Amino acid sequence: MRKTSLIWVALLVIAVIASVAATAYYLSPSTEERLIVSTTTSLYDTGLLDAVETEFEAKYPIDLNFISVGTGIAIQHAQRGDADLILVHSPPDELGFLTAGTGVNRKIIAYNFFAIVGPEEDPAQIRNTEPLQALTKIAERGRDGTDKLWVSRGDNSGTHTKEKSLWTSAGFNLTTLTKESWYVSAGSGMGETLKKADYFGAYTLADMGTYLKYKNDGLISSVVLVEQAKDLLNVYSAIAVNQTLHPNVNFDGAITFMKFLLSDEGQQIIEQFGKDEYGQSLFIPAVRLLKENTDPTMAQMIKDYAFFNGTECPQEYRKGYPELYD
Amino acid sequence: MKTIMEFENISKAYGDVAALKQVNLQIFEGEVFSLLGPNGSGKTTLLRIMAGIETLTSGEMHFDGAKVDESNINDVRLKTTMVFQKTALFSTSVYKNIAYGLRLRGHSKKEIDQKIKEVLKTVKLEGYEKRSAKKLSGGEQQRVALARALALDTQVLLLDEPTANVDPKNVSIIEDALSWVNKENKTTMVIATHNMFQAETLTNRIALLLGGRIAQIGTPQEILRGPSINLASFARLENVFSGNSKILQEGTSVIEVDDEVEIEAALRKAGKVTVFVRPEDIILSKKTIASSARNGFKGKIVEISDFGPVVKLRVNARKEFVVQITKRSFVEMQLNVGSTVFLTFKASSVHLV
Amino acid sequence: MHFGLGNEIIDGLIKALQLIFSGNPTLAEISIRSILVSSSAVMLSALWGLPIATLLGLKRFPGRFLVKGFFNAMLGIPTVALGLILYLFFSNASPIGFLRLLYSPTAMIIGQAILITPIAVSFITSAIESVDPEIKDLAKTLGASETEASIAVLKESMNGIVLALTASFNRAIAELGVVLMVGGNIAGFTSVLTTTIALETNKGEIALAIALAIILLLIVSALTITVNLIQRHKT
Repeated sequence: MRKTSLIWVALLVIAVIASVAATAYYLSPSTEERLIVSTTTSLYDTGLLDAVETEFEAKYPIDLNFISVGTGIAIQHAQRGDADLILVHSPPDELGFLTAGTGVNRKIIAYNFFAIVGPEEDPAQIRNTEPLQALTKIAERGRDGTDKLWVSRGDNSGTHTKEKSLWTSAGFNLTTLTKESWYVSAGSGMGETLKKADYFGAYTLADMGTYLKYKNDGLISSVVLVEQAKDLLNVYSAIAVNQTLHPNVNFDGAITFMKFLLSDEGQQIIEQFGKDEYGQSLFIPAVRLLKENTDPTMAQMIKDYAFFNGTECPQEYRKGYPELYD
Repeated sequence: MKTIMEFENISKAYGDVAALKQVNLQIFEGEVFSLLGPNGSGKTTLLRIMAGIETLTSGEMHFDGAKVDESNINDVRLKTTMVFQKTALFSTSVYKNIAYGLRLRGHSKKEIDQKIKEVLKTVKLEGYEKRSAKKLSGGEQQRVALARALALDTQVLLLDEPTANVDPKNVSIIEDALSWVNKENKTTMVIATHNMFQAETLTNRIALLLGGRIAQIGTPQEILRGPSINLASFARLENVFSGNSKILQEGTSVIEVDDEVEIEAALRKAGKVTVFVRPEDIILSKKTIASSARNGFKGKIVEISDFGPVVKLRVNARKEFVVQITKRSFVEMQLNVGSTVFLTFKASSVHLV
Repeated sequence: MHFGLGNEIIDGLIKALQLIFSGNPTLAEISIRSILVSSSAVMLSALWGLPIATLLGLKRFPGRFLVKGFFNAMLGIPTVALGLILYLFFSNASPIGFLRLLYSPTAMIIGQAILITPIAVSFITSAIESVDPEIKDLAKTLGASETEASIAVLKESMNGIVLALTASFNRAIAELGVVLMVGGNIAGFTSVLTTTIALETNKGEIALAIALAIILLLIVSALTITVNLIQRHKT
């Protein structure tokens, strides 16, 4: 009867919807709790987070989803409630995040140093100079007529923020600086930026973790010219997203993960990472250092650079879990 | 006799164009009814309305006693079926084409197989089930379309110019099939055609359609043999002239068709008349001829139509005449469009309509 | 310089073939996910695209021209632009944010389905329009209702419909913007061929990127060839 063809059509529609739903279901993890972590590219590209993820997921029934973006974007994600936790390395931006009320329970996890890397020939002759002086020399050389002498991240990442603060401290006006012909704004992640700097034979500011990996893998030939200076300190923190503001975020999961990163086991993973391959830790654990003051000079540098009002997280930005701050 | 379809004052317009104007018609069950008329006279439109695939602009249609409207139009579609002038086939096998309508009606596979075999036999296409319908010849395709329609055993079968674009061999197969079906199943058939001779052989009644109106309804005898101005203007679209006739002393009349054209006819009639001349009665020459014929005109050939053994020429001699000559003569005389020619015909060749 | 053309590509090609033939599980996982996501997207877009296209192709309604024009215009929508819009749509901050669809395969499926809908609709509408208009009347005079007659027309345009869906699939599986923005390229969860190619290239893993690109091309070619063969066999 004519009803038959209509029945066939209805069946077909149901079949289509069913298979789409089944596929979506199959592709998505069913029972596991999900934690969305927005992280800076330097932590992700080096592979540290993969190592952390393996160990963490073995212990906890939480599925870690890392979204690798620049610090600026990670904070934006969090502000919209699209992430549960952020791992970033830009204290000024982090403070803003806390004061806006979106971030709570900030903890410092690890640190390393930025370095100014560049071509072996070092045309601006900055080897072993102080960071601010090095930048000045590069600017002079650039203005002298060298094309493409400095590559900037240009992506509002933590590294970019650091770079900008250095230029400002050296007395340069950022708005005019970025327009000069020798200053290249890459708009890309750390790895990509390193490759561009290498390609142009230019200098750039890089975190040691990413630099070591890329150098070791033979992807770049730039060398470290300025390092280990107070001005180049790079501190990584974890901040949870405020559940009061965004009820749907996985706050407890975020704290669990944060605690893991702060635990001995987590800190051990961080310390071990890269030691075999690169001969040194790419990221240095900070928890024990800060708690027990094992290296006072280093601890002081971190406190000067990355603490707010004498603490890593002022009281008004803490929420539950007081054990985090014993 | 039971009326199976009835049309009361129906009209159909497509936008500004009126295709059918105030048509009144009754179709009786079991008859073969022809709609005769030139292209554009509304035959196809009327047929489509009967098939339930065209709506009325005004008027009422009754099918099997019930008034037809949106609620029961599907009923009409199931009880009638139409074979289109331009063969329409689905892009599948012959079998699937024919099975389509049967499946809609819920027949079992066995019944369908059986039926298809039957109808393919009727149209002399046995064994064609698996063939790709669109790959058949024109005539075979039309026969498949016919078989498809016959398979449905509808009360009414509608055919739009069923043999118009078909070669002679297929024409006779189709006509035999139609004849057989009408006799065997008493299927009512409505056939639209512009071919007078087909109308004559197959049908019980004819309706003459001109310009969207029914000019006349009757038996083939009445329509085709009797005098009729309508028939003339349809059937002999060529060489029909109207004018004022004056009787002459010698027993002929002269008809003033317009200012410059006068035709002398061997008849006695005064007043307004309509006359015609058969194309084959006109003699064509390249020079004037002196003869007993009363009518002579000079003109130029404006159109040539090749019909194989005969050639029809349209000649502009202030009025347009259609002249028919043999192919042989045409070739020998070396005529072209634009050639100046002379037309001659006798007064006795002029007939009253 | 590390971008000398010849060496790296050949090197990459060789390593790529090795990866493929060794049955690398990551490759397999990413490829399967790509295929599943894009297939589902095609099915979804067909679900709403077919009725729309049938309406556009068969019915003359006021504003038809505008609707057709809209879909034609959307054919060229930049994937990143659409990706951004969808990102905001799925984001926690939007009204449907509570569904937590962002960064999930479901979001990718929906996103790609929206992306390819203009292709499906435009192509299918064309296919339907090129069917002999008499077919619908033919179906009716054989006893079909309005719906059944429309289905008959659809069957006649089946070749065109299959072409449309194939083109849609190819577009979906090869796009980057939408799937990156709403999927987030999360390893083991929302990473697909295109996003991984982009990521690995950036990370300098050229061999892996080339391997994935080859697989992507193979999938697309295999589908197109298979469809063509089936269509030829049917006529």
